[in-house]
Amino acid sequence: MKKGNKLALFAAFIAFTTFSCSSDDNSGNGTGGGEDTGKTKYIITATTGAVGIADYLLTTDDVSTGTISTIGNGIEQDGTYRYYITAQNNFFSLLYGQGNPGAVTTYNLTSEGKLQKKSDFQAETVHVFAAVNKDILTVKVPRSGAASIAMMYKIDAEKSLITGEAQQDTKKLAGNGERAFFTWATQVGDKVFMPYMSIKGDGLDNFGTANPDSTWVAVYNYPELKLEKVIKDNRTSYLGAYFTNGLFQDENGDAYGFSGAIATSNATLTSTKPSAVVKIKKGTTEFDKSYFFNVQEKSGGYKISSTTYISKGKFLLLMYGNAGKNNGAVKMAIADVYNQTFTWVTNAPETLTSVTSRYNITSEDGNSAIVGINTPEGSWIYSINGTTAVATKGMKVEGGQITAIQKLKY
Amino acid sequence: MSTRKFLFFISFLFFSIVLKAQQNQGFLVSGQVTEKSGQTIPFATVIIDKTDLSMISDENGNFVFKNVKPGKYTLKISAIGFSGQKKQIEVLDNNVTISLQLDNELQELESVTVIGRTATDKVNKQAYSVTAIDAKKLHNTTLDLSHALDRVSGVRVREQGGVGSQSELAINGFSGNQIKVFIDGIPMDNFGSSFQLNNIPINLADRVEVYKGVVPIWLGGDALGGAVNIVTNSKPRTYFDASYSFGSFNTHKTAINAGYTAKSGFTTEINAFQNYSDNNYWVNVEAADLKTGEYFPNARVRRFHDTYHNETVIVNVGITGKKYADKLLIGFTGGQNKADIQTGARMKAVFGSRYTQGNILMPTIKYQVKDLFTKGLNVNLNANYNFGEEQTVDTVYRKYNWFGDYIQYSGAGGERSRTLMKLKDNNGIVNANATYSLGERHSFMLNNTFTTFDRKQEDELVPESIAYQQPRKTQKNILGLGYKFDYNKKWSTSVFLKNYDLFTKYSRSYNPSGNAGDIAYQIFEDKTSTLGYGAASSYYLRENLQIKASFEKSYRLPGSRELFGNPNENVAPNIDLKPETSYNYNLGASYQTSFNKVNALAFDVNFMYRDARDFIRNTLFTNQVDSYSVNLGKMTNYGVDGEIRYSYRKRFTSGINLTYQNLRNMTKYEPGENFVSWFYKDRIPNIPYMYGNVDATVFFNDVFKKGNNLSVGYNLLYVHTYYLSWPSMGSKDSKLEIPQQFNHDLNAVYTLADGKYNIAFECKNLFDNKLYDNFSLQKPSRAFYIKFRYFFSKSN
Repeated sequence: MKKGNKLALFAAFIAFTTFSCSSDDNSGNGTGGGEDTGKTKYIITATTGAVGIADYLLTTDDVSTGTISTIGNGIEQDGTYRYYITAQNNFFSLLYGQGNPGAVTTYNLTSEGKLQKKSDFQAETVHVFAAVNKDILTVKVPRSGAASIAMMYKIDAEKSLITGEAQQDTKKLAGNGERAFFTWATQVGDKVFMPYMSIKGDGLDNFGTANPDSTWVAVYNYPELKLEKVIKDNRTSYLGAYFTNGLFQDENGDAYGFSGAIATSNATLTSTKPSAVVKIKKGTTEFDKSYFFNVQEKSGGYKISSTTYISKGKFLLLMYGNAGKNNGAVKMAIADVYNQTFTWVTNAPETLTSVTSRYNITSEDGNSAIVGINTPEGSWIYSINGTTAVATKGMKVEGGQITAIQKLKY
Repeated sequence: MSTRKFLFFISFLFFSIVLKAQQNQGFLVSGQVTEKSGQTIPFATVIIDKTDLSMISDENGNFVFKNVKPGKYTLKISAIGFSGQKKQIEVLDNNVTISLQLDNELQELESVTVIGRTATDKVNKQAYSVTAIDAKKLHNTTLDLSHALDRVSGVRVREQGGVGSQSELAINGFSGNQIKVFIDGIPMDNFGSSFQLNNIPINLADRVEVYKGVVPIWLGGDALGGAVNIVTNSKPRTYFDASYSFGSFNTHKTAINAGYTAKSGFTTEINAFQNYSDNNYWVNVEAADLKTGEYFPNARVRRFHDTYHNETVIVNVGITGKKYADKLLIGFTGGQNKADIQTGARMKAVFGSRYTQGNILMPTIKYQVKDLFTKGLNVNLNANYNFGEEQTVDTVYRKYNWFGDYIQYSGAGGERSRTLMKLKDNNGIVNANATYSLGERHSFMLNNTFTTFDRKQEDELVPESIAYQQPRKTQKNILGLGYKFDYNKKWSTSVFLKNYDLFTKYSRSYNPSGNAGDIAYQIFEDKTSTLGYGAASSYYLRENLQIKASFEKSYRLPGSRELFGNPNENVAPNIDLKPETSYNYNLGASYQTSFNKVNALAFDVNFMYRDARDFIRNTLFTNQVDSYSVNLGKMTNYGVDGEIRYSYRKRFTSGINLTYQNLRNMTKYEPGENFVSWFYKDRIPNIPYMYGNVDATVFFNDVFKKGNNLSVGYNLLYVHTYYLSWPSMGSKDSKLEIPQQFNHDLNAVYTLADGKYNIAFECKNLFDNKLYDNFSLQKPSRAFYIKFRYFFSKSN
């Protein structure tokens, strides 16, 4: 009896240990940048809201029709939030959140057009990321505490490695007792223009300010990232917004800056200037005093929430739904900055829960913005024509809210 | 019940004690109810025939009748699972002490019982779905309470790392705050990080009771899905229990428990314990180059910033066995802990300097009296107040990688976010419990638990902040009323009602003028009140076959951390939270049998169903690092857990338990969406749903010398793999999962001089498997420990 029990125990031991080995997952480290043979693959990212999972990456050849779903489909992206950028025909998935150093996963397409993981590398959690030359420039900006140093990193978009870093004291940059918080970075000519907002960063009302009626753009050379000058204006407020690009270069080399004029103090709107577009002429580092596009006036009192460039001076604007306020369900509009015209988009869904205004693309012909629209009825990809301001319904996305649309060639 | 009413209740109590002292006459009839084996029988009914005197014995089988006039009496004693007994006594001119022995009704098992089912069996026989661990059997191991709980069916403890790391208890799919933890019936939620399940040594406990789904009212609290009650040894006695262990990763643990009760009734108790570990165990990580960010995949490195230590002392002084107080103890709990933070929510984030620290400074009072102003009315009163505080320190402006290399930046910064935030929550608890038994069949119970919370927060980096000076107060009161009906020895039923009250005081900021920089606060006060109820019943179909069923509509009031957030854990406040609620159903059966007089077998099986609403769920702010709690979601869970235990004489015992649960998301519409949720009826992700344990122990008697015993034991923990996210989403090959775990532990215990001296060897994670409870957070590699223990006890 006793012996039998011991034997049984031993057998159980063997049985369990046989099962107990687990396999390591290996990160595919292989092929270089995806070859461009003229074919396009769209990448749609969709979030399910599950804690710990950011998005699913879905791929498709055509976003103008059909249905795509995350059910049993898509590459899972861990983390709280992820942000996306394409550069050098690579797709970068940046992990944000949890206050931790972020990991970046790079994907490219195989010759069959299948999304594959190219590499993984560690980067900081950042608030600004933009393609500059063959790099991705990322900036981590402190919003409170004694630390006021913004860290800038240059990432080689082909090698997927950090190749350099620079620092900027944001209190020194602001020079008004507050601190500068970069809203975004835009390559203009061979320089990098970084608009910023002035914020208190006092740990209480971090994004509040006592300077709600001024515009600032810090100008850096590249690749040294040395501050050359700060250009200022007082006709509207800061350009862009937290995590939102507000400065775009057109085909002529001119830059247009978009301000929602939504500076706050203790969560109360305090900007007195209108939401507007300002211009920096090609080759200059000054605001064009002769140019001022008062969007708030032309729209009937509405303020800009975010902006997407289509082409030839046409921009897709997301406007706050409540006139004169920085809240309310957003509405889409087309702005022509050359002719200073403002047109509400027609044929769009009644209620927009959210629009992928920050991470989207233009159509192959350059005439439309392709955006993801989430509504209480579901999520679709829409094409918004920059000339007619008409929205056209495209692919339906099931099993999550659309967070970004990007494309790669293969 | 309001605070005022409650104070009135207390004063009433004390007033009656004074009255009591003046009307003293007659003599004491006291004693203890035990089994033939000497094991005590708790909650036995003792009646003095032809008088109005009756009572229920306490958890150790003790009973005391006061003011019994001289004469001849017949005592009638009964208890579930035992045959009734009558005993003649005579009271002359002295107090009478009697010992009463009952026969076990389960005749079939008279000589053969399963090892490990003794004292705790009395608890298991209740109508509630409850499992009790006999902690005394684990006193020679290095387990802390959370690891002991991990071996109970239906229970999972998920840890983030090694000694002292954050752990979360889950019972049948409910977890965290939804489970209440009690020590001797007193809620532990205000004790801070220095006195928690993950650092209390098993030696502090006599037994640990796990209530699944339905929580009896004598545990006064707002538990949504179950409770754990740690029962310490409360017998007046003189004892000394000292142990020390050390082992891998520079781990040292010491525990000293001692008590002395004088003939005069003077009682003193001291419990002291200490844990220290470097936690520098091996992990498999992707280590990054600090400059380029390049990962070196599959690096095997030691953790380098994970030292944990805590030291806690509990002292109680008072009297026992007096007429005006069966027990009156004044005590103090003091302790502290410091924990380095090695990683963030993923092991990709590595820190080298951040840490948290906290302390507990808590005066306590315990008061018990029997037969208060009428025979059969017993009252308990407990109160404590914690002056402790918790702090996160992040002031070193560096970036680390897994090799321990770092980049030092100039200026003032932190690794994650520069902070010296201190939180002092000023928690207090008053808990009162009264039981009254009327005749053989009826007993009543009233329980009231009042807790208060008043947070003060400060950060010396932001000394002038007026935001930190705003009121953050909650007061909770939970009043329970229960009735138990024992129809006969076979059938027993309890019903209960619980009233939950929550009062909160807080402020909201606003800008009174609209000018930049202007700020003002408005103070708000909110009150909510809800009523829950439940019932439990058990029936012996045969002498060795018990079935039991229980039900509760349970509520949990939102916790202060959920209402006011915790800036040290990036939890944002949500003052608008409602209580969460659940309908909990249990059905269970247990059966014992034996064959050939040497083999004993016991079977337990429990079915359960949970239907939870307004579930408090943690969600992330859009574009923010912080998370906050919201009332979202419906969830159902049905499941089964079972255990089979076998023993051969007193030489060998083995058991297996398995749990399966099916948690489903029943939130049909997500907020802001008019269509059926894509995850409706999907399995709730990131919660283990199938797991179990196998254990076996062989006992050798009289090894080397008579009275010296050796036991060799083995324990296997199995957890089935589960997904981090919704199972239906994403392609199968890309899905992130928490891999299946097989954890093998071995131990050998050698006891000398009948248990006076003990030496134990342990090997944990014998096969050095990679173990995970949470996505990417690896648990300790193989470790060895040795423990020395000295134990001495003398019953008074």
